[in-house]
Amino acid sequence: MSVRGPHAERAPGWESLARAALRPRRVAEDPGVLRRLLAFELEGAPYAVPVERVREIVRLRPITPIPRTPPDVRGVISLRGEIVLVIDARQRLQLPQAPPTRSSRIIVVQNDEGRVAGLLVDGVNAVLRVAEDAFRLTPPGEPGAVAALCRCGDRFVSVLDLERMLDVDPDV
Amino acid sequence: MARRRSRSGRTSKTEQEFVSEAEEIIERMRGGLADLEDQRAANDEVDPEVVNRLFRSAHSLKALAGLFGLDPIRHLAHQLEEILDALRLGRVSLESPAISLIAEAVRVFATLLEAVGDAEAIEVAAAPVAGLSEQIEAAVRAARSGPEVVEALDVDPEVLRTLTEYEEHRLQESLRHGRHIVLVDATFEIDSFEAGLTALSAAVRSQGELISTLPAPDDGSDSRIRFSLLSASSLAADALAGRIDVPGASVRSAMRRAAPRAPAAATPVEGADGLPSLQSISETVRVDIRKLDELMNLVGELVIQRGALGDLITTLQSHHATAWIANDFTRVHKELNRKLKDLQTAVIDVRMVPLHQIFEKVSRVVRGLRRELGKDVRLEVRGADTELDKLLVEELVDPLMHVVRNALDHAIEAPAERVARGKPPQGRIGIDAFQRGNHVVIAVSDDGTGIDTQGLRARAEARGLVAADETLSERDVLELIFAPGISTRLGVTDTSGRGVGMDVVRTNLTALGGVVDVKSTPGSGTTISMTLPITLAIVQSLIVCVDEQRFAIPLGSVLETLLVEPREIQRSRDRELLDLRGEALPLRRLSAEFGLGTPPPEAKLFAVVVGIGDLHMGLLVDRLEGQQDTVIKPIQGPIAAIRGIAGATEIGDREPVLVLDVAALVEDPQRRREAPCP
Repeated sequence: MSVRGPHAERAPGWESLARAALRPRRVAEDPGVLRRLLAFELEGAPYAVPVERVREIVRLRPITPIPRTPPDVRGVISLRGEIVLVIDARQRLQLPQAPPTRSSRIIVVQNDEGRVAGLLVDGVNAVLRVAEDAFRLTPPGEPGAVAALCRCGDRFVSVLDLERMLDVDPDV
Repeated sequence: MARRRSRSGRTSKTEQEFVSEAEEIIERMRGGLADLEDQRAANDEVDPEVVNRLFRSAHSLKALAGLFGLDPIRHLAHQLEEILDALRLGRVSLESPAISLIAEAVRVFATLLEAVGDAEAIEVAAAPVAGLSEQIEAAVRAARSGPEVVEALDVDPEVLRTLTEYEEHRLQESLRHGRHIVLVDATFEIDSFEAGLTALSAAVRSQGELISTLPAPDDGSDSRIRFSLLSASSLAADALAGRIDVPGASVRSAMRRAAPRAPAAATPVEGADGLPSLQSISETVRVDIRKLDELMNLVGELVIQRGALGDLITTLQSHHATAWIANDFTRVHKELNRKLKDLQTAVIDVRMVPLHQIFEKVSRVVRGLRRELGKDVRLEVRGADTELDKLLVEELVDPLMHVVRNALDHAIEAPAERVARGKPPQGRIGIDAFQRGNHVVIAVSDDGTGIDTQGLRARAEARGLVAADETLSERDVLELIFAPGISTRLGVTDTSGRGVGMDVVRTNLTALGGVVDVKSTPGSGTTISMTLPITLAIVQSLIVCVDEQRFAIPLGSVLETLLVEPREIQRSRDRELLDLRGEALPLRRLSAEFGLGTPPPEAKLFAVVVGIGDLHMGLLVDRLEGQQDTVIKPIQGPIAAIRGIAGATEIGDREPVLVLDVAALVEDPQRRREAPCP
């Protein structure tokens, strides 16, 4: 259930990013509300989902492909008796395809209704604390499932809209 | 305990049965009532689903009581239906006395139930029924012109009915805030009434709120006009009269005196042993179905672990050095297997109940109703030993009962009418239950009038569900019986026809992952088929391999397996066939179906012959891997249903295996054939 801290196989540059997020803000009169994000990596770029939506993070395990589903549906895994659908985050965000590596992880998230799904990512990095006012909503009409950008140190982290991330076209 | 023993001594078995069943219904009602009270406390809107549930409970209780001749319960249940119906239609609000009347009715049911089997006690317990019924009737009657208002005000309901919704709302608000509602009457000369009325209105407004200016019955004079100003004020009528300084104006209170409620119903039964016993009267043990779920899951896990153990033994056997351990292991494994099977059977046994339990219930209702309705009907039940998960069976009772009642009430004609139509005088209602793959089908058929599709369409048009110029196939029109608010008959009878109809049946079944279908031939009958999954059971499955991916096929739908040489496969147009003992068996390649790789053309294949009803088909796979116990689990995630896949199962500690939905696979090509060619 617990979200693991920064992983050993962390990509370079993440250390400073995580530290930057944890550093107390200078503007004392408005510290803003701190939000916790689970940061992970896709194609070398930082992404994040709200921590409260993450149920657990699991290592890559055998995934059974499901016929008659769109290509971004990777398949199902077995999770202590539950059968959980896994979405390939790279496919979903139309990033170049790459085979999973040792650092690949499945982030098990749940939506407001308690529905569970897995998100296959390249690697999980850190839990970031980000002030509410560091969020920049993506301009409307921006394609994809990125809901907001948030500034962390000198980098922008793409915060994903889980509803859109997990919205599978049922007509396939 | 002593009391309980003496009870069971004097109640017969049928009475106990009734009590046990009625208790369950009343328990459900208490739950619904608690929900309603929560909603009222939260100032929420009435959840129609809660009211509908209560309504169905009242309906079931009424039927049950009618069957056992317990008139006080039947009568009160009918009244309860009335007020719930009013609540459902929004004619009565939760703020009105409705909720306390419902609570009172539930309480009276409980005391009546305690008294079953003792004529004297019944009489005592039934004493409040008449009073309560009257109150309910009054509340429902009053509801027509706005709920609370009528209850609280001493104003002609005819007058109140002329109020606009907003005025009525203001009235209610004022009452809620404890203001006095008064009527200020005044008579003016017809040629100067405007000035007078303006002055009076201003005077009223200065002391409170003028809600509505009502014309009042005149006093016979042509030259004078009389008005009644419905107003709200923090002052009582007497005090207000002193402050309205308009000649000829009189102020009277419109509030009904806080009349005590009819005491008969409001007095709770008290005394030495008058407190309603919380102890259940019947002797059955009720177990929370979730506890059974937990148990089921644990057994499922054990079964999976056992599979893993089997895999280990196979590994041990394959190495020369460890083969001897494997032999000992196999013995232990077999014993474990046996015990696990027993445990599994026991757990499933607790959950699985044969359908005859509810079929008997239905038979009783039919027996009771046919007397009441003067219809001669033979009920033919087949497949009563088909088993279904207890949870599903419980949920099936109401829909099934409803469908059968509909058949009896609306479909089967009176004997004379039947003879006139050239049918045997005795009608027939059939209930057929059978397993179809991992589903159970319960079909209710009758040889009655069939569904009047023209009438159905007309009603749907009247309700705006269908445009007049819309072209609908016969099937689409039949589907309309599942639309909300469409009842197959308009009249309100004791049996059915309140419009809580087939839409509820469909809602209930969909919630269980089931489907309901209708087929009807005008003049000769209707069949309603309800199909429910048996997903909760541990089922034996055949594991097959296609392109190195494993799939599980529930053994329930597997008839046989065949080794097929490629040259045996015949082609007819674009379909592949196999000569199976002289019969043509249509074949389907799972690899093509699921877009998987195909083996070399000369490779031998296996055909898994599956059958659903009369449809047989051979599924071509690369390899058979053997049989396994499987717990079919739903796939969690943002995918509702994948055609052809019933779920997934775990075998050993390897990746999950998808379970084929044989019914869907077999029906797929059927549907495709029926689909019009583009």
